[in-house]
Amino acid sequence: MLNAFSQLMAQSGKGLFELTVNPQNESTTPVILCNGDFMAEIPVALGCEFSDLTLTGAMGTALPEGADLIDGGIELGVESRMCNAIKSACYYLESGKIRTPEMIITTNACCDSMDTLANLMNAYEPWAHVPRFIMDAPHTLDEESYAYFGRQLREAVTFFEGVLGRKMDWDRLREVCVESNKQSQLLLEFQELKKAVPCPAEPDLARQGTELSRWIKHRVSPEVTRWLEEVVRLTEQRVKEGKGIDGVDEKVRFLWQDLAGSWSTGTVLARLQKELGAVCVMDYVSYATWTPIDLASEEKMFASFAKRFLLEAAMTRQALHSTDLFIGDILRIVKEFRCDAVIMPAHVGHRDTNSRLKLVRDVCRENGIPCLVLGIDIWDKRFISPDVVFDRMSTFFQQTGLIAS
Amino acid sequence: MSDSIRPAALKALLTAAASLRNPELDAWTSAGGRVIGYYCPFIPEELFLAGGFLPFRMRGTGSTDTDQADAFFDHLNCPFVRHSFDLALRGDYSFLQGLVVGTGCDHLRRIYDNALHAPLEASFVYLLDHPRTMGSEEEGAEPIVRYYREQLSKLKEALENHFGVAVTVPALRAAISLCNETRRLQRRLYDLSVAPAPKVSASERAAVMMAGASMPKERYNALLSEALKELETAPETPGKALARLMIVGPAIEDPAFYEVFEEQGAAIVVDDTCFGARTVQALVDEEAPDPLTALAKYQVVDMPFCPKIGGSHAHRLRFIQEMVARYRVDGVIAQGYVSCDAWGCSYALLREAMQEAGIPYLRVEREYIHSESGQLSTRIQAFLETTGGRG
Repeated sequence: MLNAFSQLMAQSGKGLFELTVNPQNESTTPVILCNGDFMAEIPVALGCEFSDLTLTGAMGTALPEGADLIDGGIELGVESRMCNAIKSACYYLESGKIRTPEMIITTNACCDSMDTLANLMNAYEPWAHVPRFIMDAPHTLDEESYAYFGRQLREAVTFFEGVLGRKMDWDRLREVCVESNKQSQLLLEFQELKKAVPCPAEPDLARQGTELSRWIKHRVSPEVTRWLEEVVRLTEQRVKEGKGIDGVDEKVRFLWQDLAGSWSTGTVLARLQKELGAVCVMDYVSYATWTPIDLASEEKMFASFAKRFLLEAAMTRQALHSTDLFIGDILRIVKEFRCDAVIMPAHVGHRDTNSRLKLVRDVCRENGIPCLVLGIDIWDKRFISPDVVFDRMSTFFQQTGLIAS
Repeated sequence: MSDSIRPAALKALLTAAASLRNPELDAWTSAGGRVIGYYCPFIPEELFLAGGFLPFRMRGTGSTDTDQADAFFDHLNCPFVRHSFDLALRGDYSFLQGLVVGTGCDHLRRIYDNALHAPLEASFVYLLDHPRTMGSEEEGAEPIVRYYREQLSKLKEALENHFGVAVTVPALRAAISLCNETRRLQRRLYDLSVAPAPKVSASERAAVMMAGASMPKERYNALLSEALKELETAPETPGKALARLMIVGPAIEDPAFYEVFEEQGAAIVVDDTCFGARTVQALVDEEAPDPLTALAKYQVVDMPFCPKIGGSHAHRLRFIQEMVARYRVDGVIAQGYVSCDAWGCSYALLREAMQEAGIPYLRVEREYIHSESGQLSTRIQAFLETTGGRG
């Protein structure tokens, strides 16, 4: 089961890099480059490729030359303590390693680092001729905010049409949205299945599944839908059989309330489940709250897009908005996924999270949930090594009595 | 002009900035006046004035550590945010009845979340969402002005409901007029630095700018007007600075930071900072049919941009270049607190632009308290060598 997932993920990752980190890419499909996430359905319906420079930078940190990419970013003269995924992205950009896109679209979501990357992209001299569109993501969550952002997304379509010299095929967009809704439903089903005890699937599968449908080259395609159907079918089977993750004797279930980053999955999280039976059953990118895209009218469709972008895109949900929303999610996840503990990786680049740790700790304490704050760099293991993180988490689980000493 | 002959009005303004509380503020609160604290120049103080409040720009003056704030914020969070919040937790901001936080950056936004749960005296805590784009080529700035106008309208209603005040159109017009007068006066203050030997030092100018957001506006305007009359007619100061510098970056609300440069013989003749020249470049339209729209337009269109505004680099660079030309600047200092991601890539862009323009450039990453001033003074001396003493 897992091999099938890994294979597809490897292909997807390769596709992403081929798309962006390759200036010689001679693909004739127009590329839209963003500083972060965007509504994938729109570029797909327009027949464009879409790439996310932050994701490229983040994935770059997992490569053997990852540390050099980060250090190269620092040498450019950017803020020295900025998120290392962004430094890596800056280096990719400034060293001419990114294929020149046909269009650039940027937003201020979902953190200051991604916002400042947008500044660099928009001021990058060799791309001065590239048409660009800049959007403003509000920090508020109400119908007015969705309408405000939805209007900008609609305007972005007009912008794309102008550059491409062709009109949006609205029937095609609806078709893509139907596919997208199917995938969201499948991911929500997978999420439901992951609530089973023992946890039936690898910790990063939900995350990868989520990312796959949103961030990769073949997003919102029937191929991905079929893959997700297979994920759900196999997971359902495991739940029926009462099977947990292969080779894992589940003792502790925890929430990893941050991105998994480029190194933790294969090191810390894998060791924890294998050696201690401590399983990460949820993380904040995997946690999905999607509502279907409303296809009743064009206006409703764009309001749905806006809601997804502002409220339901994982990191935007957690980073751009209030601590009440963040904490509400933690409590909901802990309850629904029967978590024994909350791990706050507190990625050093996540200023928004690191400025609400007390509030998280207080709420966890009030609710009797053990909570550990790590303070790691999820993109750079030179900051705190995987072994140290493993030891700290192991000690924490032992001292809180979640596993035997 | 030596210290002994500084105008009394100027001294009063410097006193007002030297600590959080000042005699003018105390007089206001003693008379029952209410005070609203706010972060970020994108929040229009006119709205508070029109509601009968004294707007107070939040700062960390006098803070020596962040023990209490560190329970809320990580050590990698902005030191300015931590120090000012620490003062609030210690009760130094007990004179505030309200606190309005902007969405200027990730660090600032969380002051709002933390303030809601912290034991602060202020009964009114509000997060004001500010647009972070200049608008599109197709539609221009109209949609973002409209959006921000709505946000201001919501803040106005929240103030009215919470405090039982009425923020009327005539009161808003009067507040706009009052603040425009402040901007005109502050512009004249900056004009004093066009001369070969500026009649006010940068540390004094910074203090005067801060005083403007720390005391009743009418009184401030009167004092500044009086100080300017004396300064403008005072004889030219002999000699000239070793170099004329411009400082760029987020808020500098500690005049001592400027003093480190001045001690090395440099003159900071202009700046592009949150407390500084950026806030005096434009005026709010006093004749506009809707004062809230006029305020929104001023904040998101007319005031020079900071890097948090998407796509604003070219505009920002143009502003810096205009200041460099107008104030005959020899070198640019880009300063900022550690972890200031909102300015993250702008430093790299600025370095590149300054190199292309042949303008010496120095990047200074700093903590809130100037414990590193010795090291900084060495870097400044080396930097002044590169400016060639063109001042």
